[in-house]
Amino acid sequence: MIKIWSMKKNEDAAAKKKPKTSAAQIRVQKDLTELDLPPTMKTHFPDPADLLNFTLTITPDEGTRFLLLHISQSNSANNTSGMYKGGAFVFSFAINTNYPHDPPKVKCTQTIYHPNVDLEGNVCLNILREDWKPVLNLNSVMVGLQYLFLEPNADDPLNKEAAQEMSKNRDQFLNNVRASMRGGHIKGTQYDNVLVR
Amino acid sequence: MATETQSQPADWPGRYFHIDQVLNTPGPRTDESFLAGDGVKDFLRNKSKILVIGAGGLGCEILANLALTGFKDIHVIDMDTIDISNLNRQFLFRPKDVGKSKAIVAAEFIMKRVPGVKVTPYFGKIQDKDDAYYMQFNLVICGLDSVEARRWMNATLVNLVDPEEPESLKPLIDGGTEGFKGQARVILPTITSCYECSLDMLNKQTAFPICTIANTPRLPEHCIEWASVLEWPRVRGDLKLDTDDPEHIGWLYKIALARANEFKIEGVTWSLTQGVVKNIIPAIASTNAVIAAACCNEAFKIATSSAAYLNNYFMLIGTDGVYSYTFEHEKRDDCPVCGGEALEMTLKPTTTVEELIDILVEKQDIQIKKPSLSTPTKQIYFQAPPQLEEATRPNLEKKVSDLVPPGGEVTVTATTLPFSLSLRISYSE
Amino acid sequence: MSQEAQDIQDSTTAIVAESAPDAKTRRYDRQLRLWAASGQSALESSRVLVIAGTATSTSVLKNLVLPGIGHFTILDPLEVTPEDAGNNFFLEGPSSIGKSRAEEAVRLLCELNDGVDGKADKRSLEEVLENDKEWLSDFTIVIAHNLDPKLLQRLSEYLWSDTTFPPLVVVRSAGFLAEFYIQYHEHSVIESHSETTPSLRIDKAFPALLDYATTLDFENMDVTDHGHIPYVVILVRVLEDWKKAHNGLPPQTYAEKKEFKQGIMAMRKKSDEENFEEAEAQAYRSWTATTVPSEISELFDDPKVKSVTPSSPPFYHLVNALAKFVQEQPSHTLPLSSTLPDMKASTSAYIHLQTLYKRRAEEEKAAFKSYLQVPIAEDMVDAFVKNSHALKLLRGKQWGAVDKDGAALVKGGEVAPKELSVHLALSALSSVIDKSQPGAPLTPTVEALTEEAQALLPGGASLPDDFDNAVGEVARAPTADLPNVAALLGGLVAQEVIKMITKQYIPIHGYCTIDLVDAWTGTLKLSDLKP
Repeated sequence: MIKIWSMKKNEDAAAKKKPKTSAAQIRVQKDLTELDLPPTMKTHFPDPADLLNFTLTITPDEGTRFLLLHISQSNSANNTSGMYKGGAFVFSFAINTNYPHDPPKVKCTQTIYHPNVDLEGNVCLNILREDWKPVLNLNSVMVGLQYLFLEPNADDPLNKEAAQEMSKNRDQFLNNVRASMRGGHIKGTQYDNVLVR
Repeated sequence: MATETQSQPADWPGRYFHIDQVLNTPGPRTDESFLAGDGVKDFLRNKSKILVIGAGGLGCEILANLALTGFKDIHVIDMDTIDISNLNRQFLFRPKDVGKSKAIVAAEFIMKRVPGVKVTPYFGKIQDKDDAYYMQFNLVICGLDSVEARRWMNATLVNLVDPEEPESLKPLIDGGTEGFKGQARVILPTITSCYECSLDMLNKQTAFPICTIANTPRLPEHCIEWASVLEWPRVRGDLKLDTDDPEHIGWLYKIALARANEFKIEGVTWSLTQGVVKNIIPAIASTNAVIAAACCNEAFKIATSSAAYLNNYFMLIGTDGVYSYTFEHEKRDDCPVCGGEALEMTLKPTTTVEELIDILVEKQDIQIKKPSLSTPTKQIYFQAPPQLEEATRPNLEKKVSDLVPPGGEVTVTATTLPFSLSLRISYSE
Repeated sequence: MSQEAQDIQDSTTAIVAESAPDAKTRRYDRQLRLWAASGQSALESSRVLVIAGTATSTSVLKNLVLPGIGHFTILDPLEVTPEDAGNNFFLEGPSSIGKSRAEEAVRLLCELNDGVDGKADKRSLEEVLENDKEWLSDFTIVIAHNLDPKLLQRLSEYLWSDTTFPPLVVVRSAGFLAEFYIQYHEHSVIESHSETTPSLRIDKAFPALLDYATTLDFENMDVTDHGHIPYVVILVRVLEDWKKAHNGLPPQTYAEKKEFKQGIMAMRKKSDEENFEEAEAQAYRSWTATTVPSEISELFDDPKVKSVTPSSPPFYHLVNALAKFVQEQPSHTLPLSSTLPDMKASTSAYIHLQTLYKRRAEEEKAAFKSYLQVPIAEDMVDAFVKNSHALKLLRGKQWGAVDKDGAALVKGGEVAPKELSVHLALSALSSVIDKSQPGAPLTPTVEALTEEAQALLPGGASLPDDFDNAVGEVARAPTADLPNVAALLGGLVAQEVIKMITKQYIPIHGYCTIDLVDAWTGTLKLSDLKP
């Protein structure tokens, strides 16, 4: 052991002692304090001391185009941008202590009518699962989520009925979106009223 | 609980005949600090204290090897209990032990088999123990299958290092296996590359797009994930999926099989279902033996200085012949655990948080813009998001000394920093 | 049966769900995922002989008993010494001293697995070689650790004398250094678990695939369907169109290949169709000709393959049939594999494509079987066809042959000096033991060992620079069977033995050398030792 113990002495003794803060914690601090969100997205911390659990509210607008990296969602929708305008969509974020090795767990807290969000709140966004990597951050996830409202993708759906409507009968789809956002029924499902009050 | 073993026979003549050959004489690559003979034997057998994390596939092997090489004060932590699927490799366990604590059964077995060795088990989580506990050991060997536990142990040992106290440097020897592949590495906290430095070397866990699972299943795995990720929560509500419960696996299997049949997909089996939902990694005795032996050999060499130690990564692939690769993994400057900068800062007791931020921003050598500050337990000041900025804004006027104790640590993050900066705060008179 | 009838039968076959696995399957679950039931059954019918109950020997056995070999015997006439009791986990400390080493080890090893039969044989190897050497051929494999050099020589000669005798694993260790070698005449592997995937045959699309790809109406397809055409279909289609415009040739030059890829991307209906991105990334498959890998075609010319007789091992019959298949079938390729990788596709498109591949693979397998001259079990044929791109035939040499081949040693010093140094240091130790009086303490000097090593090399050849590092360790601990080295060897040797027994994965083909000072392993490959 003596050999090992003598090693440190040779090093520059400039106090290299590191803080007790975990890597996940520092990384979340870094991600959160460096968030660069447009006015259409707001975070809310039910317990401000708990950085690992919070919600994100997205209030989509006409669809400002962002330069998106790492996101392979459709950009085909042309006349649909803005269809979710007027709604406020709330997502829960749960980050575990193995972040950023593990991606954040994100769910939609409301029942909404969207091709890429199912009725249980599961979200189909590649960087939340198969394409997650530690170099991505919370900002990339949030921007990705917002993109889903500007450019829903009917080709790889989670809510198949909504997707079918979107590709087959766009007017009906837009009607359904509007009805669902007011809290209406569509094909037997009661959606949550998500209109901004 | 560990039972007191009967009075142990003292060492018998010839017991260490084999090991003493390398402790009595140096070899061509032995460091000059090696104290051949009684000094090193006394340290190994009477003074050293070693901690083993994990009493599973690697842990069983590690404990046996350490006991035979002459470590006599061994501690072992494991939170798991013994399962029947462990018995093909975890050789300290028998069918009658199924359901018991791995750490306790393993410790008792070793003490029974190798006289004079004390193994102290802890049936619980590594996170239950504090710094003082970890400080008592000279070496730590990890035989874990969890990334998270390894990250925690690594960070804890890096944090323990106190430049004023050489013995606070606890070498961490980490082993891991997967089928015929494995790796063993030596981490000298703060000196060599650490576990966190190499996090990007890990294989990515297979994950399938959720829309594929929901709509275009093609593989049996897609059907199984449909059952576990989507159907379980939908149908079984809040009941937590227990992957060790045969009823739960059986349910998933049936759901997955029905879906596979609906889509004419072949290959959903009970075994595959279990493999996918538990993320089962194949494991065999032989690979574990190789990696555990490599780890224990490093522990032995480090504890005795009897031979050069591994610098610092050994990788084994045993599928086509015996292929291994030994190399030095480089320390990362931007490693969130062992990299980055640490600064000693002496502040006036009256310095406010706002003034501290100004000091940081004005420091030419570190170039920080818009720093956010926290202690290990609370936020001091966050630049964003707005709610947290607002919540922490009142702290700007507070004295740092009211928020951070002398010697306390502050974590600083800022876009301009590669990762983070840590400050150790002391106060002038 | 008509296709339609077949489909109806498939869809109405009752679903039989398995129930939870039995205790044995659960016990072996983690290893069955590596070598499956076939490997397990090979292990369970194996009989392993281990000579000398040293710490290394019991470590090897532990890693064979745990996964469940059928039987093992430890051949060892000695009683447990205090030294043995200190370094062997399969002895019970001082209470084992004076008892039979074989019996104590067998008793404690058998505790690891009820399903394994263990036997202690207290005869000496010398006695067996004198009076009962036929007994040795009862085993599947024989493992010997640190045997007396003269006895080892006799043992290896005997086991080499008949190609049907079991392989011999020779293990030597001293202090931090070790080496092992498997003596076998030949070893064939069908299930090599290779990571190279078989060809999808895009360049030689079989008729049903070609027909499907060329008749699919890409243009008028629904956007969603268009975004879910499997890349294999896209490539076959694009290649076919390309060949029509290019005298039947695939893209040749860099410019053409680039143009080909651009053609793929131009077919997209939307800018983010992942299946077209996959097709672009996999485009090389269109101009990479599907050929028989050279390692496989070399097998075709093997004399034993060419001159199969009804008594030839199945492997040769299979390769012989494979050679004929390649020669006579119009595609001149290996039989098609039915395994289709996952790709962006709709379920129906993927399953349809998979069915085309499976059906064709079945047809080709039937054609393959028509070339077989002897009946061979169906599951072996299946495995062979599935792995025909990654077959392995290893031919070995007698243990120690390299030490009598100066040119090979010189070559080893050039290609693998560190590995050769460990080998020579251990061979030098063997030479010293060979010359010393039985029972005399073994304390060779570096000089004496170096002299013996030098004597193995042809005149004028010098020892590698690394030799000093190796020989110093041997001189330091010539009789040390260190627990960690024993455990590591136990793992490596058991792993190779499992590969030999199961005939799965590829065992070493040469001398595996180990240096646990710098923590490395290496292999002096027989193929590298040819001057």
